[in-house]
Amino acid sequence: MNLRTLTKGWKIRLALLVAVVGPGFITANVDNDAGGIYTYSLAGAQFGYSLLWTMIPITVALVVVQEMASRMGAVTGKGLSDLIREEFGFRVTFWLMLALVITNFGNVVAEFAGVASSLELFGWSRYIVVPVAAMIVWLLVVQGTYRSVEKIFLLASGFYVAYIVAGLLAHPDWKAAAVATVSRPSGLGIRNYPYLFMLIGLVGTTIAPWMQFYLQASVVEKGITARQYRTARWDVILGCLFTDIVAWFIIVACAATLYAKGHPDIQNAADAAQALRPLAGEYAYLLFAAGLFNASLFAASILPISTSYAVCEGLGFEAGLDKKFHEAPVFYWLYTLLIVTGAGVLLVPRFPLVHVMVLSQVVNGAVLPFVLIFMLMLTNDRELMGEHVNTRTFNVIAWVTVVVMIVLTLALVITQLRG
Amino acid sequence: MSLVALSELLGATVRDASGTARGRVREIAIAPQEHPTRVAYLIVRTADGERIVPAASLKACGVTVRTDSDASAWERSTTSDGVLLLKRDLLDQQIIDVHGRKVVRVNDVELDSTPVNSHVILTVVSVDVGARGAIRRLTKGMVPSFTLRALLAKIPPRVIPWQYVDLLETDPARRVKLKIAYEGLSKLHPADIADIVEDLPAAEREAVFETIDEEVAAETLEEIDPKVQVSIVESLDSNRAADIVDEMDPDAAADLLGDLSEDHSGQILREMQPEERLEVTQLLEFGEHTAAGRMTTEYIAVSATAAVDDAIDALKRFEGTREALATIYLIGAGHKLVGAVPLVKIATSSPAIELSTLAEAAVSCAPDTPQDEVAALFDKYNLITLAVIDEHGRLAGIITADDVITMLRHSD
Repeated sequence: MNLRTLTKGWKIRLALLVAVVGPGFITANVDNDAGGIYTYSLAGAQFGYSLLWTMIPITVALVVVQEMASRMGAVTGKGLSDLIREEFGFRVTFWLMLALVITNFGNVVAEFAGVASSLELFGWSRYIVVPVAAMIVWLLVVQGTYRSVEKIFLLASGFYVAYIVAGLLAHPDWKAAAVATVSRPSGLGIRNYPYLFMLIGLVGTTIAPWMQFYLQASVVEKGITARQYRTARWDVILGCLFTDIVAWFIIVACAATLYAKGHPDIQNAADAAQALRPLAGEYAYLLFAAGLFNASLFAASILPISTSYAVCEGLGFEAGLDKKFHEAPVFYWLYTLLIVTGAGVLLVPRFPLVHVMVLSQVVNGAVLPFVLIFMLMLTNDRELMGEHVNTRTFNVIAWVTVVVMIVLTLALVITQLRG
Repeated sequence: MSLVALSELLGATVRDASGTARGRVREIAIAPQEHPTRVAYLIVRTADGERIVPAASLKACGVTVRTDSDASAWERSTTSDGVLLLKRDLLDQQIIDVHGRKVVRVNDVELDSTPVNSHVILTVVSVDVGARGAIRRLTKGMVPSFTLRALLAKIPPRVIPWQYVDLLETDPARRVKLKIAYEGLSKLHPADIADIVEDLPAAEREAVFETIDEEVAAETLEEIDPKVQVSIVESLDSNRAADIVDEMDPDAAADLLGDLSEDHSGQILREMQPEERLEVTQLLEFGEHTAAGRMTTEYIAVSATAAVDDAIDALKRFEGTREALATIYLIGAGHKLVGAVPLVKIATSSPAIELSTLAEAAVSCAPDTPQDEVAALFDKYNLITLAVIDEHGRLAGIITADDVITMLRHSD
């Protein structure tokens, strides 16, 4: 093969990739939301480089689970809640959807809290910022089409580069960080409970139920079919890689500064940005704050709409942005209520925010095992998936991943409830 | 007669002729080859495996199911080929509500049990897509059944009568066995069918397009979003695709084929009728966003010397779209465009009058005119149709106002 045919082959492949890129990339990136960024910052601030080794297994787990959702969407042309309803019946779907609304409500609140705290760093009042952000989110989705919204979301995914730049500005010890990524540190063991809790937290923020519903639905909406699936798989893999590289840089940035200088105590992601200011400089601080704002607004745009779609499709209500308000009232009301109340509670003085968060986390942990096991059952259903059922090797990896995820998530729930 | 819900029957105790409880209802089967709505048999889970209880032996159907046959006579349930299983094929699945013109999900199925000569005949009447069926299934087994019935009676039902239900089945062989032909769907306006089809998953879309009449399929395809059009046509085998594209408006067909891969459009073109193929290939050569790319080659043109009579004959023979009927074009020597007569003038003139006396100057444009200029011409001259002429002044095709509206709606 000469050089010309080689580049032509690559051009075709690149064009194919551009046609399907989006759902996987966006979903993986939204994973680094306000809560995710806080967890990574805390991991770096409290344990330095010593948790970096988790990033590789976390990436593998993320790829394995996302790949199943993406494949199901491409092969069946149906959303995850549709499939759960059709295969497991109404009652299971009803309770699952109820739980999804509760846990996603908590997530929406967390995202708007991220918006508020990131902009409060610049001295903007949350009483202005939060309503405006809620308005933007509502309009973006209601006025936009899937294609235009996807472009905005891809752009938002690109802004995560801010964290990579912030990591560079923090002047970390690259060699130590690299070594810590590929080998587990010897000094810290299973008996070190704070370390173990942090590890559970890291894994727990990685795979959430809503991601699977969102990813599968957007694969369907983009019209990706089984034939394009081989390329669509790269969308998932690249998305997960980029997401975890960003996470790696957040940990490294905080490890090189907050941990090294002995400031392990941060209360939220905005705190982390604030604490970076004297240690890593003005630019690192600005990038961290802007990155948090971007991530929070981004996730706040996706969570309510993905919840409304999943619930309405699973329970058989009319759904879709091409429908008018009176044609799909449940869809629009659920969407609007999630945004209005999710943003609204932040404006209520002395609102028991912590309790909402804990409840959301607990429900999240309770729902995740069901979602993952349903996904495994569905992707092994030959009648549904045809030749695209899981291979034996994939099943082994997937079951190990799912069992580990379930154990760690339940452990996270228990620590939440006790703490 | 009395109504009983599928979710009530599923799990109900089944008693045989001696009155002994023998098992529980697991499935309810209809054999559409024999009767379109009547239940053919129940599948009952007994201590001795799954057994078939023929509907002819049913004596009562409710919280308990009574039969007058002996449990030992119940055959073992083996294959479910060619029958519609209400739980597996209907409950929780999507169906097309032909009356309401949308895709809905089934919450429950309502059956009617009518006593006839000490037996009951069980038939499907409607599917429940509302809150009543949902609540019934949610609370089943948690609330006593009579309380539940009283409670549910207060909820306004949202049911679709069985004759307005079109089932979705992706397996062509099963579609034939179950006699699924999308008859109700085909009777809807193509634009409504298009809306419904856009809401379906890819495999179900394909099923609809494999089944419905080619002409309806063609008109529906024209109304569907171009991206979805492509995925539908790609999923059909090229023979079927060619049959449908044959029936489409040449300009719509050309747009569609232009969006397909060259391999694929070539394959479809090869299998099309020669006449349609010629028209479409000519259109394909022009840019999609020019006058020629938007025009259709199906128009009415008569000789400049003809009379109103001849124009009416031409109208009767015309097979193209209705929109193209609005204007009759007059052609001189060498197919040159010499004038245009609006349909209204034909309708209000006596048959013998020569068309040239009624003619107006025809507004026209060149094939490579950009589409926004085409729209401007329609606006300026308040046109219903616009003639496209080549460099020698010959009539190449016409653009109709409906195409301009579509074009304007998609340009932003």
